[in-house]
Amino acid sequence: MRTLEEVRATLEIAKLKEEDLQKTIHCLSFGDNVSSADYCLMELDDTLCKHIEAGQSLVIRGDKDERAVLCSGDNTYDLKIADTSNLLLFVPGCRTPDQLTNSQDSSHVAHTQIWGFCNSYWELRKHRPKLKKLKKILMENPYEGPAIRGQEENTENRYTMEDLLERIQASEEEIKTHLETIHACQIDGYWRVLDFDYEMKLLGHVTQLVDSESWSFNKVPLQNSLEELAPLEPKEMIEHCLNCYGKRYNENDKVFYALHEDKVCRGVALMLLQNAVKFNLREFQEVWQQSVPEGMSTRLDQLKSVALVDRTSRPETICLLRVEDLPEDTLERFNHLFTLREKWTEDDITPYIQDLCGEKQTTGALLTKYARSSMQNGIKVFNSRRPVAT
Amino acid sequence: MEKRGSVDGSSPPEWLLVELQGEVITRHNSGLAGNVMGDLLYTKEGVPVLIVGHHILYGKQVKLEKPFAVLTKHSSHSQDSLGSHDNSVITQVPMETNQQGPTSTSYSVSALIKRKLIFKTRPKPIITNVPKKV
Repeated sequence: MRTLEEVRATLEIAKLKEEDLQKTIHCLSFGDNVSSADYCLMELDDTLCKHIEAGQSLVIRGDKDERAVLCSGDNTYDLKIADTSNLLLFVPGCRTPDQLTNSQDSSHVAHTQIWGFCNSYWELRKHRPKLKKLKKILMENPYEGPAIRGQEENTENRYTMEDLLERIQASEEEIKTHLETIHACQIDGYWRVLDFDYEMKLLGHVTQLVDSESWSFNKVPLQNSLEELAPLEPKEMIEHCLNCYGKRYNENDKVFYALHEDKVCRGVALMLLQNAVKFNLREFQEVWQQSVPEGMSTRLDQLKSVALVDRTSRPETICLLRVEDLPEDTLERFNHLFTLREKWTEDDITPYIQDLCGEKQTTGALLTKYARSSMQNGIKVFNSRRPVAT
Repeated sequence: MEKRGSVDGSSPPEWLLVELQGEVITRHNSGLAGNVMGDLLYTKEGVPVLIVGHHILYGKQVKLEKPFAVLTKHSSHSQDSLGSHDNSVITQVPMETNQQGPTSTSYSVSALIKRKLIFKTRPKPIITNVPKKV
């Protein structure tokens, strides 16, 4: 271990005057741990730092094919190695000038160990969670309604929240929100997504009841609905349908639902569009308006991100195109969209790329990066940056 | 000596980072452990100075824009041993593996780093005419 005399000798050779320096001199040496490979450095943002300071734990998820992600309570981050050309040393006992007391009269040596070093670290980038897989695995066994007498219910491929947390690269909060978006519900402790036809059947029961009872669709009584529809479907399913398509509220100690016009109209449209590849737009709009509950108005903008209108064909047509059926990877998504249609207006393409935006990213920025723009008949259109077979 | 962050002891200690350009070259092949690296001093104005071998480096103290966590890896343990740690634990969960039995890697946060001393100026060689006898 270096002595004060040795240090003073070094100072003299280096032509540094002791009186110009602060009293504490740290002699740095490498500790025993430095050569082991069992440590690494990870960059944090403010949220994670506070998380760690509060003693909360984090999880890193990933398998061989997927890159690793870090999940905290409600956020997901991509992990990426960043190399630096510099050497980073971690020194536990080293003090900075503001921490030195300088109370001693003379210089003294503080023997300080370097605990570890590296020249790369894990970089974090807050990422949109990979949730497409969630619907995919729940669709392995969609719920089609209560088992018909004599038929056995399919009990394979059912997932609890714990199962989902293990398989999906997202935080619990993100998973819960997405489950609500895809109208999933818990049956016997397992999260189930409804078979589309069954979901539409439930919605049909509710809307027909509203019409036949002449209720306002803003004031659908829960109790009456459950009583009237109990012979047809389980009460939990009726209530689940009302939760998905309406907003619950209390009035005079009674529970009511205000059906959400946009959600109901969109559901009905999906039901109609499923049956063919393309529809004549005008015919579709007529049938659609007739099929929704009395008092509700259909509008094409209710179908953003679920249907695509073609105004260049004669007659004009509409077809089913759901953003959730499209590739999750950004580049693959753009390639797919440009394969479907060579040129897109910003209005048409935006609903299909909105979910690709990362933190603080806009659809405009994505379009600049992944597409090329040109003018067509006075309107700005976007096409692929590379030749695409249509 | 470790610093305790908060009263309940759940916050990891804060360490200092020293950043250098280039590699540290040792004369010995036996590895770095136990070897002296250099002397770190501060001028009265608070400028950090590092003497490494025959080089003198001047640096500055910087607050990190993004703090670092020093993670120490642990081979897979049973769940009860985790309770004794007072630092945050990061568990690596393998997904859908065909391996038998749970094999998760866990990391504990050994320290947080919020400030660094960075030595970027080109090291000035220390020129000696006469080696000083110590």
